[in-house]
Amino acid sequence: MNHLRWLMREWRGGELALLLVSLVLAVTIVSGVAGFADRLQRGIVGESHKFLAADLVLKTPRTLPDSALDKLPSVVERALVVEFRSMVVAANAMELASIKAVSDSYPLRGELTVSETPFGAAQTTLEVPASGRAWLDSRLFPLLGLEVGDELQLGELTLIAERALLTEPDRGTSFYGMGPRVLINAADVARSGVVQAGSLVDYRYLFAGTEEQLQAVKTSLQPELTASERWQGLDDSQPQIAKTLQRAERFLLLAGSFGVALAGVAVALAARRYSQRHLDTVAVMKALGAGSRQVTSLYVGNILLLAILATLLGWVLGLGVQNALFAMIRDLVGFSPPAGTLRPLLAGAITALLCVVSFALPPVLRLRSVPPLRVLRRDLGNESLSSGVSAFAGIGGLFLLMLWYTGSIELVLAVLVGVSAILGLAGILVLRLFSAMRGWAQGAGGVLKLALSAMVRRRQANAFQVVSLALALMVLLCIIAARSSLMKEWQLQLPADTPNHFLINIAPEQVGPVNDWFERQGIDSAGVFPMVRGRLVTIDGRDVQEIPEIEANRGSVNREINLSWSDELPGDNRLTAGQWWPDASASLPRVSVEDEFAERLGIAVGTKLGFRIGGLPLEAEVTSLRSLSWDSMRPNFFLLFEPGVLDSYPSSSITSFYLDATDKVLLNDLLRQFPTITLIEMDAVIRQARTVVEQVSAALELVLVLIIGCALLVGVANIQASLDSRLHENAILRTLGASRQLIRTCLLAEFAMIGLVAGLLAGVGAELCLYLIQTRLLDMSASWHPLFWVVSPLGAAFVVAVSGWWFCREVIVAPPLQVLRRL
Amino acid sequence: MIHAENVSKRVQVADSELCILKGTSLEIKRGESVAIIGPSGSGKSTLLGLLAGLDEPTDGDIWLAGEHLNALDEDGRAALRLKLVGFVFQSFQLLPGLTALENVMLPLELRGDRRAAKVARDYLERVGLAHRLDHYPRQLSGGEQQRVALARAFAPQPDILFADEPTGNLDAETGASVNDLLFSLNAQSGTTLVLVTHEPILARRCARRITLSAGEIVEDSGEVVPA
Ligand SMILES: Nc1ncnc2c1ncn2[C@@H]1O[C@H](COP(=O)(O)OP(=O)(O)OP(=O)(O)O)[C@@H](O)[C@H]1O
Ligand SMILES: [Mg+2]
Repeated sequence: MNHLRWLMREWRGGELALLLVSLVLAVTIVSGVAGFADRLQRGIVGESHKFLAADLVLKTPRTLPDSALDKLPSVVERALVVEFRSMVVAANAMELASIKAVSDSYPLRGELTVSETPFGAAQTTLEVPASGRAWLDSRLFPLLGLEVGDELQLGELTLIAERALLTEPDRGTSFYGMGPRVLINAADVARSGVVQAGSLVDYRYLFAGTEEQLQAVKTSLQPELTASERWQGLDDSQPQIAKTLQRAERFLLLAGSFGVALAGVAVALAARRYSQRHLDTVAVMKALGAGSRQVTSLYVGNILLLAILATLLGWVLGLGVQNALFAMIRDLVGFSPPAGTLRPLLAGAITALLCVVSFALPPVLRLRSVPPLRVLRRDLGNESLSSGVSAFAGIGGLFLLMLWYTGSIELVLAVLVGVSAILGLAGILVLRLFSAMRGWAQGAGGVLKLALSAMVRRRQANAFQVVSLALALMVLLCIIAARSSLMKEWQLQLPADTPNHFLINIAPEQVGPVNDWFERQGIDSAGVFPMVRGRLVTIDGRDVQEIPEIEANRGSVNREINLSWSDELPGDNRLTAGQWWPDASASLPRVSVEDEFAERLGIAVGTKLGFRIGGLPLEAEVTSLRSLSWDSMRPNFFLLFEPGVLDSYPSSSITSFYLDATDKVLLNDLLRQFPTITLIEMDAVIRQARTVVEQVSAALELVLVLIIGCALLVGVANIQASLDSRLHENAILRTLGASRQLIRTCLLAEFAMIGLVAGLLAGVGAELCLYLIQTRLLDMSASWHPLFWVVSPLGAAFVVAVSGWWFCREVIVAPPLQVLRRL
Repeated sequence: MIHAENVSKRVQVADSELCILKGTSLEIKRGESVAIIGPSGSGKSTLLGLLAGLDEPTDGDIWLAGEHLNALDEDGRAALRLKLVGFVFQSFQLLPGLTALENVMLPLELRGDRRAAKVARDYLERVGLAHRLDHYPRQLSGGEQQRVALARAFAPQPDILFADEPTGNLDAETGASVNDLLFSLNAQSGTTLVLVTHEPILARRCARRITLSAGEIVEDSGEVVPA
């Protein structure tokens, strides 16, 4: 028999529509969301590489020998950045500036923004200053009393101030990124004569290319490198953003795989219903002489044809979804999406196949064994559909799907643990409940008795329904909770008024005037903190240079550390060990240490630390460890002393504050009044970070909408699954004289109970899953969701009751005869 | 055409074994029309199902058109049915998703008959439903549905037709017209007919009557009256 004709006939039965929709949705999610996530991810990574102005950077205090550079693959793009501090001199003024000299190919990623006049309209450019030209921070023009076109002096070199420099992609990455910027051509460095052997200069070699090319660069240069050289990738330059992206990517994959899981459940439900409705058909066909091979071929052919159709439709929709998603966030992403790859489409097709094989085929294949005797005895052959095999195949398929899709066994295990927990719990609970209900039904009267006994009668179908609904709900809860805790964390990281400027080197006598200035300008500073710079030299009497255990963390002690003091524990710090200035008087001065710093160096409460401050020794005892949030952009200190201990050492102060981009011109006034103070501008970095967070959040929102669509589909499939028996039963009840009111109440009560139980189970399952997801996957601390336990059951009861009633409303309004004839 | 020897059927119910058929033997010749009668629960449908190869006997042997059914598996029996057997059921058993025409075409298509549509239309005409070809079963009355079922049963020109209470769900008048149709089609095609019924009138239209009671043949007119 012709398969296509058979499919067309079967299509009219209506059961295949839901199956097709579910399959299409699965393909759409994979090819759409995965494709979108993939493109967004690549886009954002590309965007984030602009923070480096390259894909890979080698940071070194010296120039590399040409011989080493010549060996590099020529396809790799290269640029050189040299940074140092130097005085720049104009006719009537001079200023300590941060000089950045760049080769012509700079920047390899991202672009510069400049303006033709100081503080003027921004325009982007891929050029760099020609030899003999300089681009200056806008502030430098008034500070030096310069106009565009005027001359300024850098060492022996005369430069023409050509343009104002507004932003550089990699501004935040440099240690010397403080003070006003002067951008010149790398060719001019030697001619200025400013850079001598021994001067503090930071060289950065920029590379861009494919991952393999970059790897080749690393391998090729490795023999040249000493301990003072360092590779920088995305992870090093923007740890916060890298982490954000990583989590966002994981979240998208998680949401996507949950979506596929939901679509799989819908496929399973739809296939089950399809098979159920074809028991009689198959029995008749067999009685008429169809062999089981013929039956298998017809039905499997049907499903496979459907899968092909679904794949084609899903591809079209998936591409549509990708583009729609990009269109919706076009303003946010600020880059045109990179071209899509074939991988998501292939993934969609494989998903359809896997869904069909593990969810749709098991119940359909069992049609093969329907006994032909069913034509004489209707009760035969029903049991062939309710079997653990299909559940097993389903879960196995789900496992493979998600594993292949996310590539993270941990993620899949977290989900599966949740799933099997909920399945087990559901099994036990629902069966317990139903046996209890049998008793209640005897005691109850009227409607409740009818509803209860209806539940008991359909307990297998209902248990199945409860479990699949609970699964869909659980997925939804997990996604919503994970999303909101991610967003909350990001928002916490970067509130709108996050301090974006730091002032350091504030002399003690300047603290008052600086505070006055803040007050006059109406700026809230994060508070002025005193600090003394010193070195940590001994830990428990051992010279830090000779402690082998801290070899890897020698960077923490090979430099001057900022030491401060405080009477009270700073607001955003938290004690993790010891006590904050315990009352008992100690023989040594007391110090509190940041806990990660302490861990790196093996410091605990009671450890004695030896410092050298301005040539003088100081011994102190650790009395507490603190954790603190670096993301707050407030001044924070690894080491906080008791007040009074550091009084005799020379100190300066540090503060941070928030300044809107439009108020940046105020900085000129500040720097003119306090020329010795160093200003560190973090606004560009923070702004960029926030944009990324916004982009990613928008993507998450949109994906969430799709997942809700999936959950709804499962709900519909679920209600449809029991529709026939309900319609039949209620039609009979009505012919027996039950009022519409009674049937409506009865239906609502039964559906509400199903929703209630499913919601409760979902709450428990989601809590378990979230615990795993948060602690194992997203590196966040676990949190309870007491609201789940209330909202989920009540919400589910309401939604299921209302939508159940909606789908069954026909039986309430239509004359029972019509319903009976149709069945 | 049909030969059954010492056929019995037992089923496991809870802890006890229920014996539905107790060592039944019978012989039905080509072209014969046989009515199986007896009280409800006596095992009529069970016997019919066994003779048609829809089920396997617990003991005993059955031959259908010379083929030993016991030696065939379910697929083998299906192939045999496809070649030889037609069915009419009490509950019609039309496929709800297919139109009247498609229902009649089904057994022909299963055989790979290229003229399925034409033959089916022809038979629907014979049962007086030429104007209802594209109607679905739910749009037809019970009598009309059973007429479609008759067309479906006769269209492949089976050697044997099994009918289980073909008019059990119909009122007397409609039942009578369906019966007329059944026997006239049967007469035209010379099919062997095995018919289970409660109705004495219907039984009397068959040449031979076998009476079952509690799983045993208590009377067989075919043996009493020499052919
Ligand atoms: N698989 C089975 N399991 C349990 N009992 C069975 C099974 N098959 C048949 N029976 C029982 O065997 C007896 C005979 O069944 P059968 O359907 O053959 O009766 P029948 O003569 O066709 O009755 P009716 O005239 O009511 O259709 C009945 O009591 C029936 O309940
Ligand atoms: Mg019977």
